[in-house]
Amino acid sequence: MNAFIWAATALAILQLPLLVVACVRRPIDGLVALELSGVLLTATLLCLAEGFHRSFEYTLPIMAAVLGTISGLVFARFLGRWT
Amino acid sequence: MSAANLAVDVLLIVGVALELACVVGVLIMPTTLDRLHYVGAATTVPAFCILAAVLCREHLSSGGIEAIAAIALIFFLFPVLLTATARAIERVEESED
Repeated sequence: MNAFIWAATALAILQLPLLVVACVRRPIDGLVALELSGVLLTATLLCLAEGFHRSFEYTLPIMAAVLGTISGLVFARFLGRWT
Repeated sequence: MSAANLAVDVLLIVGVALELACVVGVLIMPTTLDRLHYVGAATTVPAFCILAAVLCREHLSSGGIEAIAAIALIFFLFPVLLTATARAIERVEESED
């Protein structure tokens, strides 16, 4: 285990309280937690790609960044319209 | 321990600690709009600390450039997302009043 794997593990653990927020609070608060979860996921995948020394895995954080943004936009649009 | 390893460790510890602070902010802040600030904060200094740690190792190889692209994407795209979310929050809270 190198420093990047430890950092990725810590960042993955940080997802758990956000999951609780998404389940317990209002949907709009869950969206805020989902967006922060997307940021943490991008950082986690970056640390894992470096920790495992696999340069082809660097594509995953790029995809996570783009898809996290797009999915958040879709949720924001419909949550704002349907309530 | 070489200087590069020390720099990587310090940058990762600072990055993860600041992400933890952002998660705590989303958990305990009173209003939804206050919590949104912490999502924006998570895409700035902590993300750049983790990027700097990766670049200490990868320098400007293909992996390093892809890491720069990933962090740049969340740095430039998330403000758009947070603005859309803030508008949705305004609508939700208007409909609840």
